[in-house]
Amino acid sequence: MDSLTKELERKSHHIRKAMLQMCIDAGKGHVTSCFSCVDILIALYYGNLLRCDPQNPEWPERDRFILSKGQASPALYTILADLGFYDKSELKKFNKPGGMFAVHLQKDVPGVEITAGSLGQGYGVAAGIALGARMNMELYNVYALLGDGECYEGSIWETAMFAAHNRLNNLITVVDRNYLCVTDFTENLVALEPFEDKWRSFGFNVLRVDGHSFEQLLRALEPLRSRTSDKPTVVIAETVKGQGAESLCHQPLWHGRAPSGQVADRCLAELDRRYQHV
Amino acid sequence: MSDVTQRDAFFDRLYELAREDVNIVIVAADMSAPALDKFRRDLPAQFVNVGIAEQNAIVIASGLALTGKKVFAYAIAPFITLRCLEQIRVANAIMHIPITIVGMGTGLSYDSDGPTHHLIEDVAVLRAFANIEIHSITDAVMAAAYADISCTKKKANYIRLDKDFYPVIYDGGFDFSHGLARLREGKDNIIIATGPMVHVANAIAGSPGFEGLDIGVVDVFEIPINESTLLETIDGVKKIITLEEHFLPGGLGSAICEILNDNEMPVPVKRLGLDINAGYQHCYKYGGRELIRRCHGIDRRSLEQAISEYFCAQPQSVTI
Repeated sequence: MDSLTKELERKSHHIRKAMLQMCIDAGKGHVTSCFSCVDILIALYYGNLLRCDPQNPEWPERDRFILSKGQASPALYTILADLGFYDKSELKKFNKPGGMFAVHLQKDVPGVEITAGSLGQGYGVAAGIALGARMNMELYNVYALLGDGECYEGSIWETAMFAAHNRLNNLITVVDRNYLCVTDFTENLVALEPFEDKWRSFGFNVLRVDGHSFEQLLRALEPLRSRTSDKPTVVIAETVKGQGAESLCHQPLWHGRAPSGQVADRCLAELDRRYQHV
Repeated sequence: MSDVTQRDAFFDRLYELAREDVNIVIVAADMSAPALDKFRRDLPAQFVNVGIAEQNAIVIASGLALTGKKVFAYAIAPFITLRCLEQIRVANAIMHIPITIVGMGTGLSYDSDGPTHHLIEDVAVLRAFANIEIHSITDAVMAAAYADISCTKKKANYIRLDKDFYPVIYDGGFDFSHGLARLREGKDNIIIATGPMVHVANAIAGSPGFEGLDIGVVDVFEIPINESTLLETIDGVKKIITLEEHFLPGGLGSAICEILNDNEMPVPVKRLGLDINAGYQHCYKYGGRELIRRCHGIDRRSLEQAISEYFCAQPQSVTI
């Protein structure tokens, strides 16, 4: 493990814990949805991939990060606080009077590009930004993070068809493939597989990685700044919904909930144990 | 009668503006128009066709707007509005992303195409959202003016274009900023109309047999309605008829009644429009727009009778 990936592992522990504590305190938040995708966000924000400036959130040349699965907002809010987009004390006010944010992603938070919560829509806005960037001859990347459950929305595929047709290789799509929705596993609900084939047939360059391996995430995402293909790229990140807190994993009904009481204590302990090696 | 449709007047003007402003972009959902052909030919970099995917048109347009573009999302009216409600609500109402939605064929414009292509609920639905202005276009001059006005809007803006040819009633250079205009003076009685029904109201108010009723006509082409201008315009009026080619609940008439009620103005109002209790069955009557209107009592002859009866009747005393 090189020093960067080791540092990212440490960051993963720190961000997960802060985010979990925030949701426990608030009694709200999609904890398991955050745990499945947070390593993707950490790779982007701390792995020298996504260009942003906490002192100047509206920096015109910044990369745009579109969190289309808006229920994972606690993961992004925790990272933005950690990076200094706003004071960390805001996390203590999550879903509280006087707080600036709650369960679903909201655009007026510094560092956030869109309001999300209605699934399948952020992706189209991301593609529109990518097209506009190309029209304006801007060089920034647009990163869109989708949930796999979000891919049931037909609007995702309308946008995918559009992005591929228009060769939007400045649009980098990452799908948090955690195989779980609210009530059941995706392959029991309506099968998403063969998932890679779907994206490929829509005209995408498709990569499949372990979404909790920083080494694999960086290796997949790093070259895309150089527009290595004229096609848009989708990275299907294999993840575990609840990763890091075993008590919450592989159980559909933990969707959209924050643990409390003894379960909360157990989850915090599980996180420490899971990351004790870093 | 104008020799150009509202659509061609709108897109002809937009073409002129776009030649001078590279940030003007049309996002079309597989829609054409004679005026659009030259736009596509001469300004291909400013024309995006998303295919028959209106919902995607709205979100792509909104993304483009975030990069500084002045975007016009264009499709057949019911599909670029009602089909895309969730997209419009999130991107344009909640997020305040300013785009112009251009709907072709509002009301019963597509008379022979049946109810899927009629649009008789959109005003009620879209005026329930914050941060969106609705503009029902009345003639080709107004259509061209709204190409200019739309480029300056800082909020979402919905342009309702009628499909038919209409007489020009506005002079070039008319100031549309008030959102409504008094087209015909009248002391006691006034018809407040919108879209194509403005032409019907004008024709009836000026026809022989109606001159004695001294009927004023007001065109409301912007919702939310400019309240102060409306109250000023109807000051002293004794009776009001509202007229729209739209289901009555939530439409123009409802909006007028809300303003009168909230301002404690006890003026009697008769709302004329499409009867929601009649449902959509009348939309399957073929033989022209006037025939469908007749089923709802808003064809020319039925309106003449209704207007005459209402304005001739003694006003009932009203207390509030």
